[in-house]
Amino acid sequence: MRITMLTFTSLLILACVVPHPSYAQETPEGSLIGKQIYDKSCAHCHGLEGRGDGSAAENLLPRPRDFTRGLYKIRSTESGQLPTDKDLFDIITVGMPGTSMPEWETSLDVKEREEVVKYIKTFYSGFQENENPPREISLDDKIPYSQESVEIGKDLYVELGCVECHGKLGRGDGTSAPTLVDAWDFKTWPANLTENWNFRGGSDSEDIFKRFIGGIAGSPMPAFQGDTFYHFGLTAEQSEQYATLEKKVEDGEELTTEEEERAAQYFEINDTAATAALDWAEGLEMSPETLKIYNDAMKVVYEKSWHLANYVKSLSPEKRPDFAIGKHVLRSQYLQGELPALTDETWNTLDYSYYPLIGQIVVEPRQFNPSIDAVNVKSFYNDTEVAFLFSWDDKTHNTSEEENEETGKTYEDAIAIQFPVKPRKGPTDPKPYFIFGGRKPVYLWQWKASAPDTLTELTAKGINNVEEQEVQGDFAVESDYTDGRYMLWVKRSLKTDDKKDLQLDVATFVPIAFSVWDGGNGDIDTKRVISSWYSFVLEPLPSTRRFIYPPLVALLSFGLLVGLRRIVQRRNS
Amino acid sequence: MKTKMFLTLTLFLACGLALFVSADNHEEEEKNVLVFPKAYKAKSVSNGGKINGIVKFEGEAPEMKKLEITKDQATCGKTDKFDEALVVGEDNALKNTIVYLMDITQGKDFDAKAKKPEIDQKNCKFTPHVQIVPVKVRLTMLNGDNVTHNVNIADININKQQTRMIKRLRINAMPKPQGPFEVKCDIHGWMRAWVAFVPHPYFAVTNEKGEFSLENVPAGTYKLGYWHETLGNNNKEPVTVEVTAGGEVKQDFTLKMKK
Repeated sequence: MRITMLTFTSLLILACVVPHPSYAQETPEGSLIGKQIYDKSCAHCHGLEGRGDGSAAENLLPRPRDFTRGLYKIRSTESGQLPTDKDLFDIITVGMPGTSMPEWETSLDVKEREEVVKYIKTFYSGFQENENPPREISLDDKIPYSQESVEIGKDLYVELGCVECHGKLGRGDGTSAPTLVDAWDFKTWPANLTENWNFRGGSDSEDIFKRFIGGIAGSPMPAFQGDTFYHFGLTAEQSEQYATLEKKVEDGEELTTEEEERAAQYFEINDTAATAALDWAEGLEMSPETLKIYNDAMKVVYEKSWHLANYVKSLSPEKRPDFAIGKHVLRSQYLQGELPALTDETWNTLDYSYYPLIGQIVVEPRQFNPSIDAVNVKSFYNDTEVAFLFSWDDKTHNTSEEENEETGKTYEDAIAIQFPVKPRKGPTDPKPYFIFGGRKPVYLWQWKASAPDTLTELTAKGINNVEEQEVQGDFAVESDYTDGRYMLWVKRSLKTDDKKDLQLDVATFVPIAFSVWDGGNGDIDTKRVISSWYSFVLEPLPSTRRFIYPPLVALLSFGLLVGLRRIVQRRNS
Repeated sequence: MKTKMFLTLTLFLACGLALFVSADNHEEEEKNVLVFPKAYKAKSVSNGGKINGIVKFEGEAPEMKKLEITKDQATCGKTDKFDEALVVGEDNALKNTIVYLMDITQGKDFDAKAKKPEIDQKNCKFTPHVQIVPVKVRLTMLNGDNVTHNVNIADININKQQTRMIKRLRINAMPKPQGPFEVKCDIHGWMRAWVAFVPHPYFAVTNEKGEFSLENVPAGTYKLGYWHETLGNNNKEPVTVEVTAGGEVKQDFTLKMKK
């Protein structure tokens, strides 16, 4: 009796421990290894059941993918199609820039990654149900990058409505950007097209082209299907003529019979091509004639998409700028006379120094989803003053006038530029703690979007230990927000009367660090993006002494040699 | 011995409870699904019956939230827009409820109008708010606005840009009945509609007066279902109606806010 009872009990325990049958995944052959790896390495974010609801998910933006709906962003396949195994493998291998998805190349070998792919596919039944392999996007007719192609792409950028979300200059500041949500109703932002190192699926023209044709499933980014193009199926010439006729109708003019016939013809061509595009998208069987109509019409779409891809590529620098260290350190340049104002073209003669930013995750509340990539800085100085130009991209312009409905707080864009209070005694002298100082205090210039022409000076001995301080020297401040970019111009005297203030000397490296707040991304107080310590220097003028010492040394050496020769000669004789 | 029995029993109960709870959660997630027959055969129906009625909202209707028009004011801001997730009219009439037959396997075919479903985006608002689309039929999106829209139906992986130049844009036909799914325009974040892909024509959407009418129903006994985007469905407890040849069945519904 006792034994049966025990067996019964243990069976019951087992029944409880074994997952609910409806959640148990049918794992195809071999993916048990995949499951083990997934449960250990992926489930924290993507959830044990692949629903994108792991314990860390709440803190991530973009959210980890929910695999149960078959919506995959980065694919080499057409709109509405599932990804290929290789697509999934590649994403696991290289990760997704600008998100929390890391690369797994270094920690999982090829076989392991393949097993994970197999397992991930079990979360969505569509992978098993689809008999045909997903249709891949052809890259055969690639139009190589050229200035001409970029120009065509630029017009398409406006025509196709990219500007609505990505903004006029591509900084992700379009008028629709603040309201975008994904298929799960989570907030999502359009890409800043000028920072292609953050593109989730790669920055090559091919990668961008694939995002166009395939769309980014689950996101607000639409797919370029044939019928979404104006006058699809018409040649450029036909399209132009049809547009003239359409304009006439729109203006209330009457068409002649001949014109009416022509318009009807164009309508028919467009409609037939659009219908063929739908047949294709639905995977219907198509007659060779219809298929030809579709393929011919798509050539134009592909062409346009390549031009647009080239244009998007042109918006970013060739590579991510080097960080402002080593030879890229910020060197303030000497100017004689008045320093240039915010809009002065003299600034264009300088390159920016690039200070990358990361989310502040040391102190609560933390920022796990940084929205600002970097601060760019230029500087000039003259005999008495120094001027800085700070610039950073922000997709939304938030001043403290706007109160958040849910939290009642005001989220505002702001920046703080940080220096040590005391000059360093030498290169071995430790700097203050990089996040607003600690035992060693820091001196800050804080600027807020609600007071665009002023700076507040602060001293801080820690992130929650900040004090306003009296004004040092003469400050001049100007700022601007246009097309998703902040420009902040600050001018100050090099020296002040108070010895405790920041004193700037030529050729002395001064530590500098940044905190930036993006109100539109929920940044407030300690929730913000920060940099570590960098430095800048007032570049000394090339010394005039170079005209004196080198000739002098040469002369002396010569004299020495002559003298030596004489001595040797004398000895010999 | 008794203690052990007790323990076992408790464990058993706990286990059962756990299973019950998880099963319940699972169903909860599938709430927005209509019930479709496994197959449907269209044939001519003569002397069919009629089912009609009124759907009402129980309780005090919350005030409709005015939507914030965040862009394209010249076009979109011409008229005030309200969140249509719950539209209650005079006498508590509930608009935009789908009322339909769950288990009909043969009956009339879709009429010509039903086979050409359209959603207009005029003034940056989807009209109608709930659209029935027969399976294997393409939904047409109209854009008479001088602005760019996009049509995003994430559940069926459709996201197509419809610039101001594209006056008519068709959406892929669905081979199988499914939905209702939410339709969004991402460019104008306030725009929302619902679309259901259905296998037979016995689907009605209530009007401002909460009225619905299913006509030419072959005589027989059917399960009558409803679906509302905010108030849910009666999948668990459908109403049984008996339709006689040429007869008329009246069936009203009263829906209330879920707790």
